[in-house]
Amino acid sequence: MGMGGLALAALFGCNSKSTATAPIAFDPAHPLLPKLPQFPGKAKSVIYMHMAGAPSQLELFDYKPELMKMDGQECPPSLLAGKKFAFIRGVPKMLGPQAKFAQHGESRLWISENLPHFSTIADEVTIIKSMTTDQFNHAPAQLLMHTGTPRLGRPSIGSWVTYGLGSENQNLPGFVVLTSGGRFPDAGKSVWGSGFLPSVYQGVQCRSEGDPVLFIEDPHGMDRDLRKASIDAINKVNEESYKEFNDPEILSRISQYEMAYNMQISVPEVMNINNEPQYIHDMYGTQPGKACFANNVLLARKLVEKGVRFVQLFDWGWDSHGTDSSTAIDVGFINKCRQVDKAKTALILDLKQRGLLDETLVIWGGEFGRTPMMENREGKQNPFKGRDHHTEAFSIWMAGGGIKKGHSYGETDEIGYSAVTNKVEPFDVQATILNQLGFDHEQFTYPFQGRPFRLTDVKGRVLTDIVG
Amino acid sequence: MLEFLGRFHPVLVHLPIGILLIALLMQYLSTKEKYAGLSEAVTISLLIGMLSAFASCITGYLLSLSGEYDRSAISWHMWMGFGVAIVSALLYVRRINNRRDKIYKIMSGALVLLIIITGHLGGNLTHGADYLTSALEGKADAKFKRKPIPDVQQAMAYNDLVQPILAEKCFSCHGPTKQKGKLRMDQQELLMKGGKDGVVIKPGNTDESEIIKRVLLPREDEHHMSPKEKPQLTQKEITVIKWWIGNGAPFDKKVNQLPQADSIKPVLLSFQNAEGGSSEEGSATIADKDIPAEQVTKADEKTIDALRKAGAIVIPVAQNSNYLQVNFLNDTVITPEKLQLIVQLKKQLVSLKLSNTNTNDAALDAIAQCTSLIKLFLDHTLITDKDLSKLNNLSKLRYLNLVGTAVTANGIKPLAQLKQLKRIYLYQTKVDKTLWAELQKQFPSAKLDSGGYIVPSFPSDTSLVQRPIVQ
Repeated sequence: MGMGGLALAALFGCNSKSTATAPIAFDPAHPLLPKLPQFPGKAKSVIYMHMAGAPSQLELFDYKPELMKMDGQECPPSLLAGKKFAFIRGVPKMLGPQAKFAQHGESRLWISENLPHFSTIADEVTIIKSMTTDQFNHAPAQLLMHTGTPRLGRPSIGSWVTYGLGSENQNLPGFVVLTSGGRFPDAGKSVWGSGFLPSVYQGVQCRSEGDPVLFIEDPHGMDRDLRKASIDAINKVNEESYKEFNDPEILSRISQYEMAYNMQISVPEVMNINNEPQYIHDMYGTQPGKACFANNVLLARKLVEKGVRFVQLFDWGWDSHGTDSSTAIDVGFINKCRQVDKAKTALILDLKQRGLLDETLVIWGGEFGRTPMMENREGKQNPFKGRDHHTEAFSIWMAGGGIKKGHSYGETDEIGYSAVTNKVEPFDVQATILNQLGFDHEQFTYPFQGRPFRLTDVKGRVLTDIVG
Repeated sequence: MLEFLGRFHPVLVHLPIGILLIALLMQYLSTKEKYAGLSEAVTISLLIGMLSAFASCITGYLLSLSGEYDRSAISWHMWMGFGVAIVSALLYVRRINNRRDKIYKIMSGALVLLIIITGHLGGNLTHGADYLTSALEGKADAKFKRKPIPDVQQAMAYNDLVQPILAEKCFSCHGPTKQKGKLRMDQQELLMKGGKDGVVIKPGNTDESEIIKRVLLPREDEHHMSPKEKPQLTQKEITVIKWWIGNGAPFDKKVNQLPQADSIKPVLLSFQNAEGGSSEEGSATIADKDIPAEQVTKADEKTIDALRKAGAIVIPVAQNSNYLQVNFLNDTVITPEKLQLIVQLKKQLVSLKLSNTNTNDAALDAIAQCTSLIKLFLDHTLITDKDLSKLNNLSKLRYLNLVGTAVTANGIKPLAQLKQLKRIYLYQTKVDKTLWAELQKQFPSAKLDSGGYIVPSFPSDTSLVQRPIVQ
């Protein structure tokens, strides 16, 4: 059809697709009220564990005995020609797998000795080994993973999901973010930002020690009744001005005051892991009083149980370059694995025994992969064994929420350099997450600057092969 | 190179159409006194139009060599195209020789007709022969209206399921008028014969079948089918074609004569459609076993509002669905009044979550009336063995959560009558661990989850590696 035909089609309105992409209705007075998915979704909530810095797939899930044979040899020029790396310069040496692998469960999935707990739940998860990205620096790669673009300004997955589905518990935020590892992800708070979506959909960062949300306590000398009275007074004034100006943003503000008031009670309650029984603490390997990944994972389960729609966990410290022992693939990396292995295993089993795994989608992964070569920063061998950033292959796993159990998807070549079968892009993971929640990623849009936007931009395919 | 030149045909053809028609129009007008001055322009317009007509003929011929078009369909278009070029040349020669006689006028009229007919035939070649007429039926895609499939199991696997998909998404380029890549799919022998790269369907081998490979390539890949700017196959359509090829790609089998894994059944069911229709409806919807396939009337809005006011969260399972799910996340007190309201929604209610509420045995009478229930959460409630057998009324129940209640094996056993039940969660109940294996035996089709999973503590969980471990 030529231009004329297109114009005609627009004139006669026979482009049926355009009517299907009507934006999700959004009530400014109750922005977080539960809303309907486009079709019945398998999952009701999502727990996304992001290992900021990017864990090495070659020491976790992508078993490459051929790479071991090349250990210590110079990297063949064919793997370097035309490639750009973050730190590798000249000709690096190949680095064999720095962990022993075994097959686990009935599904016979390959998992390394670095994850002794996780390997016991191989039959519950789908491991995707053919992830690829096009960003080799942390911040843009994290943004791509969570917002669908390597640049700033787009809404994150959690924002899209709460915008689309609202939240079932009006006393808690719909999208909660918890961080551990001592630092924020490199991309900063933009990875849980709401972009051009109404700001009520941005991730609410909570802390696992001290006040869960900063300034949530009433100030000294103000009791709860006084707080209620003052919020009522403020809202009364706001209602007056709404009557005068009819600006829906005022309704939004009123509802946020009320939600903040409710959260003063409900947030500290749900964010307190001390009332969990000891055997649960033992199961997750928590460290009460500290800000650590295991505590956050336990919190994530509690939040999901209370109807929170999207819980985003970031754990920092996975950038295993080998510049010092804390980033060595055979020292610091192992310690990072030990910090998360027990908790993430416990999360799956705990959700399962509570009958919640079926409707909770769990994702674990980083923003890119690591090279099969040993890093030689500026052409000199690093003091410890390390791997550079790598875009052409990495692994993530997903579980629950209608994802296949005990399944491996996609393969890399024999040394794990590139994904070769069933390549998966971040957009595909995003499309799959939305699909499991009941959204067609191509139809789920928000109008902004004169055109509809979507999380997956112009890409993305639902990974139907991993949906059970 | 020749093919490259040939592809200029679709753009060049517009020149002779426009220029020759304007030349003939001006020629007619120039006979009027007012426009007599146009006469000068007619000759040069005819010349340019004639030259562009010849250019179109040459490129058109080159394009036809690509083999992407049906020879017989092209034939008329081609000869009439040559006709346009030749008649316009004769006209031009007569004009510069000032022989504007009767023959000249007849040829002028004939040229107009030739241009219109050639243009129409060319349009049919690119857009399909019924492109124009189908718009008369109201919608441009009316030709894809699928015929009704009242019972999918009785339908023909190829004729009723697979072929309509191919007709809608493939035939326009691989059909009677065009055979891109020398592939024609609208006749069984030709479909199995394949195209210039060989066979496209290998019966019984989905992974090796080119048709499946192409469809699954990334949309940006130049070999991806259908082309990225054209309507794409939906997941359901791909699944059905895979299923058909996987089962030997038979042309003479009914759906119920082919093996069906559990996963394919809901997909097949989604093709069942008493009224026919196009694939666009609910394209991404993969039928969900948690939602009944049959439709239900809309629940009473007043009841829903009353239940919401009472503290419950009541949400339809999806847009365009009347089925409801109810939970009490923000409210922990279940009263008889609330239960009454719930019972009024029994036709639509497929999921009821009473977790962490004061629900007790007295509530089971009301719950047992909600016979549409597929998922029932009674975890962390005051439910006991006493009246649990009342739940046997819930014949559609697939999921039952009793975590954190005081039920025992005795209370569970009667539920073995619920044939649809797939999962029972019994973590932190009073079920005797020693009776577990026996209890599970009573439920051949349901999985009982006892919970109580332990993640052992290893010394390595809490210790740190300080230096590289020597392997």
